[in-house]
Amino acid sequence: MMLWKNTINELLKIATKIRSYIGIGALTLLILIVLFAMKADGKSYIGFVTASFEQTLSFNGKILNGNLIAFIIMQMLIVHVPLLISLVTGDLLSGEEASGTIRMLATKPISRSGIVLSKWIAATIYTLIMTVWLGFLSLFVAKWMFGSGDLIVLNSNGLLIIPEADLAWRFGLALIIAFLALWTVATLSLAFSAFAKNSVGPIVSTMSVIILFTIIGTLDVSVFDSIKPYMFTTHMAAWRSVFEDPYPTSAIWESVLILVAHIAVLLGITLIRFNKKDITS
Amino acid sequence: MALIEVSHLAKNFGSFHAVKDVSFHVNEGDVFGFLGPNGAGKSTTIRCLLSLISPTDGDIKFFGKSLNQNRSEVLTRVGCIIEKPDFYKYLSAQRNLEIFARISGKDITKRQIQEMIDFVGLNGREGDKVSGFSHGMKQRLGIAQTLLHNPDVIILDEPTTGLDPQGIIEVRNLILRLRDEQKKTVLLSSHQLSEIEIIANRMVIINQGRTIVEGDVHELLEKQSMNLEISVANPTVFEETIQRDFPSLTARLVYKGTYHIEMEEDIRQPLIQRLVETGCGVKAVIPKRSLEDFFIKMTEK
Repeated sequence: MMLWKNTINELLKIATKIRSYIGIGALTLLILIVLFAMKADGKSYIGFVTASFEQTLSFNGKILNGNLIAFIIMQMLIVHVPLLISLVTGDLLSGEEASGTIRMLATKPISRSGIVLSKWIAATIYTLIMTVWLGFLSLFVAKWMFGSGDLIVLNSNGLLIIPEADLAWRFGLALIIAFLALWTVATLSLAFSAFAKNSVGPIVSTMSVIILFTIIGTLDVSVFDSIKPYMFTTHMAAWRSVFEDPYPTSAIWESVLILVAHIAVLLGITLIRFNKKDITS
Repeated sequence: MALIEVSHLAKNFGSFHAVKDVSFHVNEGDVFGFLGPNGAGKSTTIRCLLSLISPTDGDIKFFGKSLNQNRSEVLTRVGCIIEKPDFYKYLSAQRNLEIFARISGKDITKRQIQEMIDFVGLNGREGDKVSGFSHGMKQRLGIAQTLLHNPDVIILDEPTTGLDPQGIIEVRNLILRLRDEQKKTVLLSSHQLSEIEIIANRMVIINQGRTIVEGDVHELLEKQSMNLEISVANPTVFEETIQRDFPSLTARLVYKGTYHIEMEEDIRQPLIQRLVETGCGVKAVIPKRSLEDFFIKMTEK
């Protein structure tokens, strides 16, 4: 009961903070810029990609459509959205510490675990809203602007054309997996937040970890081969696998499990840290 | 009945022993002064009482129950201000109170929140964002937050810090109203010794992490040596009389013709009589047995 009541409080705080809208605003702006750019110069961009295939393939129909734009936007923004998410989630505990409200909160009859869990649930809902907003703008607005059609995906196996009728569930599943990846980032920044006294540290630390792990993931050095499959950054782009044919079910499940495991471990660390923390601010 | 019992409390931060051995008890209906010089361990002790800090050793009981094992139940019956009340600055005063009311462990209606806003004199400002509040207004909002769930015990850590004289008087009057009208038990930590002397009935003094003395404020003050401040017209005669007839006394010149005298025994009557007889021109005799003197004496030991 107390957990539910404090979750309402946390959602209220997120809803009334300006920084919560910086992420949504920035996301909206970025997507609108991409949509505008595609509207203005999308044909030459697509032409550049398809040029190498034009000697062997003949493209008929509308290649530059809402589905392709949505796919491009998701690829571009999945790198930037974690920063926008951690802007809010990295502030959840450390912001209370910085403003001194943690004293007021921690002297109420809600348990320390209750405080962490309610903030985590609020962070999850915020992440979900960001993901749904990303999906809405990239899919529905793009379709409204560019119309619908088959999706052409260029991957390591070559060019794949996915029929329009086969796309709705793929985008849905891709967004669910993208949400899991962003949820991991949100939980990571919340964990950092439990160790910090202001929100700058958790945001910078979260992005540093993502950048570091991404670099390790791209390094072709055998010493890292054993850890690469277990780094969450390896699985942050797992949503792309949904747009393969046939799509790799076991690989997708493996990514889901690793992301969920990360969430569980990071939440556990946050709970232990916050329960043992002496509030001296 | 003791509502708060602290036994042999200790808290270490690494190798630093912030609190070594603090014990005291607060009875129902007490306004209990919690005193100590800077660095004595007051804030750490109060934070332990409110489970902000985990004690290294010792025992804390509220209402006869262990704080450690009954944290939620205890905190439902306790209201507090730690140093300065901090609020969500981007929210209004009313919204802040709603947030804290929701997790107070009691069902608090909007009407009760409004009544509390009226009680602390913030009516008309409840819709304003806290970012625009003065320190005094925040302090009043802090008191509203403290009393919102009608707690049995109120813990106030330096509630008058940063307040102007008017604000200090307001807080003092509020504590007196809590004591007299609502029969609340108040633990009050303050550097304003005169405040404690006026409003507290019991007190503890801690120093260097240990309890120095605990008891009834007036009984403790009665036990200490009597100090006098004497103003005379003839300082030379006065000094000669003291040296000749009361060699055990030390008279310290405070101001032109005004002396501070500390006496182990109460010899006011023979002293004044002698000073009058010798023609010192006694203009004023002011007894000086204040908490301030007592505090300094206790913490200098």
